[in-house]
Amino acid sequence: MSQRLPAPLGDVIDRSSAISFTWNGTKLQGFEGDTIASALLANGEHILGRSMKYHRPRSVLTADFWDPNTTVQVDDEPNVRASHRKLADGMAVSAQNVWPSLKFDVKAANGLVGRFLTAGFYYKTFMKPAKLWPAYEHVLAKFAPGGAVDLNTPHGRYDKRYAHPDVVVAGGGPSGMAAALAAAAAGSSVILVEHEHQLGGYLLWGSDDDRTAATGLAAACAAAGVEILTNSTVAGRYEDNWISISQRSHPGVIERLIKARAKTLVVAAGTIERPYVFQGNDLPGVMTSGAAQRLIRMYGVKPGTRAVVFTANESGDSAVEALQSAGISIARVVDARSGEGITSASGSKSRVKRVTLSDGTTVECDLLVTAVGWTTPTSLLNMAGDRPVYDADAARFFPAGPPDNVLATGGMVGDGSRDELIAHGQATGELAAGRAAVVRQRIQAATARAAAVDGPELDYPADERTPLDRVRHPELYRSTTHGIVDYSEDVSSKDLFSAAGEGFDSVELIKRFTTATMGPSQGKLETVNTVAVLAEARNETIAEVGTTVWRPPYAPISLGALAGRINEPTRISVLQPWHEANGATPILAGQWVRPEHYGDPAAEVRNTRTNVGVIDVTPLGKLDLQGPDVPKLLSLLYTNKWMALPIGGVRYGLMCAEDGVVLDDGVTARLGEEHYLMTTTSSGAAKIWNWIEMWLQTEHPDWQVHVTPVTTGLTSINIAGPNSRELLGRLTDDIDLDPDAFPYMNVRRGAIAGVENCIAWRIGFTGELSYEIHVPSGHAVHVWEQLLEQGADLGVKAFGLEAQRIMRLEKGHFIVGQDTDGLSKAPVTGLNPLLKLDKDDWAGMPEVAWTMESGDHPVIVACQPDNGSVIPEEAAQILRAGTTEIVGRITSSRMSPTLNRSICLAQVTKEFADPGTSLEVLLISGERITATVQEHHAHFDPEGARLRG
Amino acid sequence: MVEITQLDSMPKASVRAADGTAAAAALGLDFGSSEQRDDTLVVRIRPDEWYLLGDGAPAMAAGLDLSGFASTVDTSHSRTAVRITGDRAADTLAKLGSADFSDHMTPNGASMGIGIAGVTCDIVRDDQHGVRSYLLLLDGSFVTYFLGVLHDAASEF
Amino acid sequence: MLLVPCPHCGPMNAGDLTYNGESHRRPDPKTCTPEEWRTYLYLRENPSGWLLENWYCSSGCRKHFKIERHTFTGELRAPVLPGRKPGATQGDMK
Repeated sequence: MSQRLPAPLGDVIDRSSAISFTWNGTKLQGFEGDTIASALLANGEHILGRSMKYHRPRSVLTADFWDPNTTVQVDDEPNVRASHRKLADGMAVSAQNVWPSLKFDVKAANGLVGRFLTAGFYYKTFMKPAKLWPAYEHVLAKFAPGGAVDLNTPHGRYDKRYAHPDVVVAGGGPSGMAAALAAAAAGSSVILVEHEHQLGGYLLWGSDDDRTAATGLAAACAAAGVEILTNSTVAGRYEDNWISISQRSHPGVIERLIKARAKTLVVAAGTIERPYVFQGNDLPGVMTSGAAQRLIRMYGVKPGTRAVVFTANESGDSAVEALQSAGISIARVVDARSGEGITSASGSKSRVKRVTLSDGTTVECDLLVTAVGWTTPTSLLNMAGDRPVYDADAARFFPAGPPDNVLATGGMVGDGSRDELIAHGQATGELAAGRAAVVRQRIQAATARAAAVDGPELDYPADERTPLDRVRHPELYRSTTHGIVDYSEDVSSKDLFSAAGEGFDSVELIKRFTTATMGPSQGKLETVNTVAVLAEARNETIAEVGTTVWRPPYAPISLGALAGRINEPTRISVLQPWHEANGATPILAGQWVRPEHYGDPAAEVRNTRTNVGVIDVTPLGKLDLQGPDVPKLLSLLYTNKWMALPIGGVRYGLMCAEDGVVLDDGVTARLGEEHYLMTTTSSGAAKIWNWIEMWLQTEHPDWQVHVTPVTTGLTSINIAGPNSRELLGRLTDDIDLDPDAFPYMNVRRGAIAGVENCIAWRIGFTGELSYEIHVPSGHAVHVWEQLLEQGADLGVKAFGLEAQRIMRLEKGHFIVGQDTDGLSKAPVTGLNPLLKLDKDDWAGMPEVAWTMESGDHPVIVACQPDNGSVIPEEAAQILRAGTTEIVGRITSSRMSPTLNRSICLAQVTKEFADPGTSLEVLLISGERITATVQEHHAHFDPEGARLRG
Repeated sequence: MVEITQLDSMPKASVRAADGTAAAAALGLDFGSSEQRDDTLVVRIRPDEWYLLGDGAPAMAAGLDLSGFASTVDTSHSRTAVRITGDRAADTLAKLGSADFSDHMTPNGASMGIGIAGVTCDIVRDDQHGVRSYLLLLDGSFVTYFLGVLHDAASEF
Repeated sequence: MLLVPCPHCGPMNAGDLTYNGESHRRPDPKTCTPEEWRTYLYLRENPSGWLLENWYCSSGCRKHFKIERHTFTGELRAPVLPGRKPGATQGDMK
């Protein structure tokens, strides 16, 4: 049966625009502007969900964002706030937390045994024995609230942006709008945030004059250039007015997170109407006075036919008028101001039928409207350090006084007529603008790149606002009966009493024990009732109990919005398009997308060892070092000696952190008198650049060294294999490749394939004769293609990262971070001749010295499984034979195409490091195999004859 | 309307020079500012570092007196320049980076280093014929990723 | 997020800087005892009050600087370098 009221009631719906949707599979109609809940109520669908714990039928309580029991499933989206989300064409809406159906819910049996489901029930009952937890979890999951998540849901689009407004105003009621308007008029850039769908606040469901005023102020804000964000929430306020705003209304995205650095924050969050605690207060048909007025005046929905109104304030009186205008008969107005009260409501499961008053009389009705007072949502002020103070005369909390850059206005700070609230908002906006202008001027003056500040230095304005009055209000929290305090968590006043009886004396602990205030409304409806009931149970005052500290977010925010747009930077060398066009399988190594292989890494190894191969090693970190003090820097950062490296020389070095742990390694070449090129590991490039700057700036500011990263500027190509000299020789006349003229561990500069300013050095990560050339990247594709073209008859082929990793393992070269970890001090590597303790200083030297002195450290060894067809997993444990005592682990393992057997590097304790030692390796399968420690790290060509050739 | 262009072949040099050196005196400028000198945009991007951008950069770098503690590096191949021009260029960048791009904080000619979409960029406000424009310099290896993100961010404008 | 006054760039979001922790003196590696070295490595004062900290303006000017921060109130005292525009104090930024 339609409960839709005739126009002019229903300001925000457009009756000319009908919208079709389904509710639990039944096709229904609403109007543009309806919320899901208003459309359902208009269709006579009264029960919108069931409560979390007891599965009691629930309906609309507040008819706004905070409505606790109207969360529904919409299409594939669970937990949608039906009283807030606007209806859209084609929505498939269904009730959640019901099984098997909304009208017949098996789990409602919980309600019958409700006395067993008291506070802490789950904690106490399912704690022990711990081994039964999986079984408990399985059963409890079926009783858990929440909708169904569709795993096939496509990724939603979320967005993020930064903003630097002078003023952010949180709340678009009369005071907030007036503040925004005044600040904008004073020259501030202003963002005005309102969590409902239109500006206006309480004016939207007030008198005709109220609604006219709301429209006028909203239009003025827009005209003044205020950035208006409706259906958006100021979710948090952090240090120095870093403000997070969740914007649900940006076109094209589900939600957008705005991170705003506001110079002044104006909090105009208004007040939130409190429900009343009494027996039957969660029956469908019991609602707040605001809810009744919103349903009637904004949505044109008739919430009942015969009403009892329990009122303590103007909002209740106004609700009476609204009900009358909707043709609802008023069975009784119970006025708390004259000492009247209500004690309970009862009825069928689906609807209130009668109300019992304090004098014992009962009144028949199908609607009970309560107007018992206000909660001040001081969350944002809490986040700014404010601790609100309770005022018993006004029966609500007020801010104690936030910091200077946060200003509260409107209902949060007092009471007044519409005009008084607007005037206070206006004064607040002017003050906010004045303070923002000063901060803006100071930041501008302190910022190097900013425009020069013109005009005189501004004075920081003092707060000279006329405060709003506080109107007396009866303290109405709980009647003489027990009822629901937290609707979303199904916590009753009885639960709070028993928790207090169990000795919980702090509101913060009670909150966590009972979960009161921890639901989706984040305490906006429940906190003060919780505090009041606790005060009553403990025979204290509300002021003595105090309140919980509200933390971000102000309202729930989606994880998608927090993640924002997905920005995961990836890097490629200029050769990557060639690799991918030529069959490379890409692999993400750190940030770099690299060729893992071109089809068959084992064949790439064999070809390189037999003929010649080329690999793109551009991600190798490269730092250009210039200045007279580079040798001192190198001596400080590397463990070995650098003062005598000749021009044209290349040296390997190991770096340690100050705790002696291996940090990075690489080779550095001396290109000129005061010019060096350092290489780092691919993953270490940025870290080592920062490391160098830190040493230069903080410990040795007198050293003259300039560091410039050139990783990307130089495309690095390793040419490896017996034919590499012949191949490179075909591309350069400039560089004499004769082994006597250009020996191992030397560097030369010259033109390669016609490209000037190339750098070539001889090193041997793969163990083959090899040249690593560094080519200005703009010309790298040409050089790469020339290598492949000119070397066709030499058998040249590109090889990928995997082949390189196999070849380095065949040669026993460790990789920092693979064969070492965060505990591996330098002596672990076995490179003791490079650890020069006779130098004055190097990073990590003392720890390395003490470690060497004690000898108490594991070492890296090469080992081979005795069964060469088995490849132990990397990280497989090495155990003392026949025991579970861990004495090491496999750090690298591969099948060697050169040796046709499995090969490994491992870290073992010294006891197991001697060549010939048999190691017991525990595979992930649980099987134990044996492996033998080798004499050299290199499994292949330990003398290095090939690379020195 | 936002226009995004990659300036592939712009010559670039970095000059590092300590206070009191001839090079520092010759290049001048306040930290955080820039100036077009003939066909070279000179940017004092850090207190002790200048960027020379444009066709005249190699000659200008080569002509500097590097006595004292001063050095130059050709960064033409290391760093890529991306220009973003249009009325909504600042709004586009504000979706990807936390800097304040308003006229009073980042006027025409201003320069700064800041993260944009997770990539450290050097940004010069360099308006083109009165239209808001930013020159972004970043490590060239990021440019494929970066242009994708930038176009995506600009798509709403 | 804290607004940290970089002595060169001006107020910066803390997220655009690198926090390098409590400032401490590096002992002489040639003569220090293990206790002294490990105090330098691992032990921090962590006071409730004013603390001298190391920050690195990693995306801006690439300069390291020290600043005093009050660990309880979050207040920062701006470093003022000779010859620069005087930085406003953190309190002034609020």
